[in-house]
This record gives sequence, C-alpha cells and structure tokens, in this order.
Amino acid sequence: MGNFAHTPGEYDPISYVPHVESHGTKELWKTFWLLLGITILDFILYFSLAPSMFRNSVFIFFGLVKAYYIVGAFMHMKSEKINLALCILVPTVFIIGLVMGLLYEGHALSTY
Amino acid sequence: MANQTSATFENQAMWAGGRSPFNLSYGKLMMWIFLLSDAFTFSSLLVGYGAIRFSYSGSAIPWPDPSAIFNHFPFMHGYFLPLLFVSLMTFILILSSVTMVLAVEAGHRNSKKEVSKYMFYTILGGLAFLGCQAWEWTQFIHDQGRLDSNFFGITHQGYDHLKQVKFGDHFHWNPGDRTWGPVPFASLFFIVTGFHGFHVFSGVVLNVIIWINTIRGTYERRGHYEMVEKVGLYWHFVDLVWVFVFTFYYLI
Repeated sequence: MGNFAHTPGEYDPISYVPHVESHGTKELWKTFWLLLGITILDFILYFSLAPSMFRNSVFIFFGLVKAYYIVGAFMHMKSEKINLALCILVPTVFIIGLVMGLLYEGHALSTY
Repeated sequence: MANQTSATFENQAMWAGGRSPFNLSYGKLMMWIFLLSDAFTFSSLLVGYGAIRFSYSGSAIPWPDPSAIFNHFPFMHGYFLPLLFVSLMTFILILSSVTMVLAVEAGHRNSKKEVSKYMFYTILGGLAFLGCQAWEWTQFIHDQGRLDSNFFGITHQGYDHLKQVKFGDHFHWNPGDRTWGPVPFASLFFIVTGFHGFHVFSGVVLNVIIWINTIRGTYERRGHYEMVEKVGLYWHFVDLVWVFVFTFYYLI
C-alpha cells in the first residue's frame, strides 16, 4: 500500500521518483557467482561435447538462464510491478518467436 | 466480499490517473522502452546472421568454426587457446555489471562515496572490455579478416590440421590450410561485435557523465541517485546482449 501513499493532487508525472530501499548486496553476489559458474560450464561443455544440435540447445538454454538472472536480479525486474514486467517481457517473447520463425525460414536458404 | 470490492477498486484506480501505474519514474520507464526497442535491433542482426549462416550449410567451403579463428590470447602468441580470451571478456563484463549494481545499491543508501567508487570500477571494466575487443579485432584483421573479404575458408587439409591440435598446443597455419571463404562471416563479425562495442562505448561515456555528476554532488543535492539506476539498466542490457553474442558467435 506504500505506493498509494501520495494523494492524487500531489502527483507530477515528470518529477515523480519512487523511494527505493536497499535490499543489500547478498543476492547480487550470489547472481555474480551463478553467472560466472554458467560461463565456466559453457567453456567446459564447448570442449567436452562434439558440435551437435543438442550442444547448441544447451548453450542457448544457458544463455536464457543468464538473461533471466541479469534481468531479474541486476535490472531489479523481480521487484518491479507486474504491469511493467508484462509490458517488457511479453514483447520479448514475441521477439524470440519471430527470431525462431525467421531462422527456420532462413534454413530453407541452404536447400536453394 | 469487502476485500474483493476494494481490490477491484484499487486496480481501477491504478489506471485512473493521479499516480504512476508502474510505480516508476518517467525516465526509468522510457529507458525500459528504449531497451526493448534496442532488443529489436539486435534480434534483427541475429536473424540476419542465422539466415546467412544456414545458407552456407552444405557449401564447398563451409562456414568457419569460430574456434579455428579466435584462438589467440595476449602474451601467449602461437598457442592454440580457443574461447579463452572471449571467456575473459565475458568475465570482465559480468564483473563490471556487478560493480554497476553495487553502485545502484549504494545509491539507495545515499552513499556518495560508495557510488563514485563503484562507478569508477564500472568505467574501468568497460574500458578493459573495449581494449580486449580492440585486440581481438586487430588479431582478426592481421589474419586477413576484412569487412569485404575473409581468409578463413578452411580447407579439408586445414580441418585435419585443426583436429590434431589440442588446447594449449603450439599452432600455426600451414600453407593450403586456408583459402578465401564466406565473406559474410567476417562482415557479420565486424558488424555484430562492432555494434555491441559501440553500445559499450556509449555506456562508458554515460557512466563517466554520471560519475562526474556524482562526484560533484549533483545527486546528493537532488536527494536521490535515480540517474545511476537508469544508466545501470543500459549497462546491464549491454551485458545481456554480450551473453547472446558470446552464445551465437563463439559457442555455436
């Protein structure tokens, strides 16, 4: 309810800045070690698996996991309002769908 | 029942004006929307890269394996060390993302000293990354990679040679290992990493501006360090893009 503390008359869209409290640095360092760990895992898998569609899928999956932690923890998306999260993430899902569709179509170029 | 009614009322009131429905400042919301549009731009590069790369599958001179090209490491000349230098660059960028978010956290506590300290580290990280990228470009250009030509068409002999080389071995190309290869490999390398590098450069410039403002006490007088959060969002986005450049250009 803290967000609704100001009365409508006081609200100025241009100068309004919400007050944010610090959540400490513990989660941030945890995210750092996680991202570092996944990158090292990328490095190990690159040399231990032969190039294949499976390996590529693993790398893309790891990329999406890293993206989740960067956006969620570093960009504070986890603590934003759900309205904002949907406004930004739903179009991103559409982008991923578009990329997959166009890459599938691009594959047809090899048979041409 | 009473709870439900008040929840509905609150939900309507959220969009009825007089308050920020996202509980965000104007500038931060605009930064998010800008980042979304920037994601469109990088996706278009990714789509172009994927389509062109697919179109070379099954051709006589195949799309080169990135580990055949980006296998150098500073001060380790002549050794076969694929992926090591790019992993270092990834590490530098992740580390500078952490110092950025620490600056944001210090801003929440209105600690001018800590914000300027962490902003300084972030700038150093960005400059280190740009230096690494300059070195990588120099190496590739030295190996005859150009915007309009690419000397990394690796022949069967070349791939047989690469198969015998292990991580950390001495490695030099033999005559006949390489010929002129797919031009888009080199052009896309310069365009994709160059476009990302330019984002890093802009990020460093923005960080320097914010750092100077912090030192001068602009945000202390203003009472909040929201500007640090805004450039922080941009900086993390640059890190995010690098994660995908790393995945699609160097790993796959």
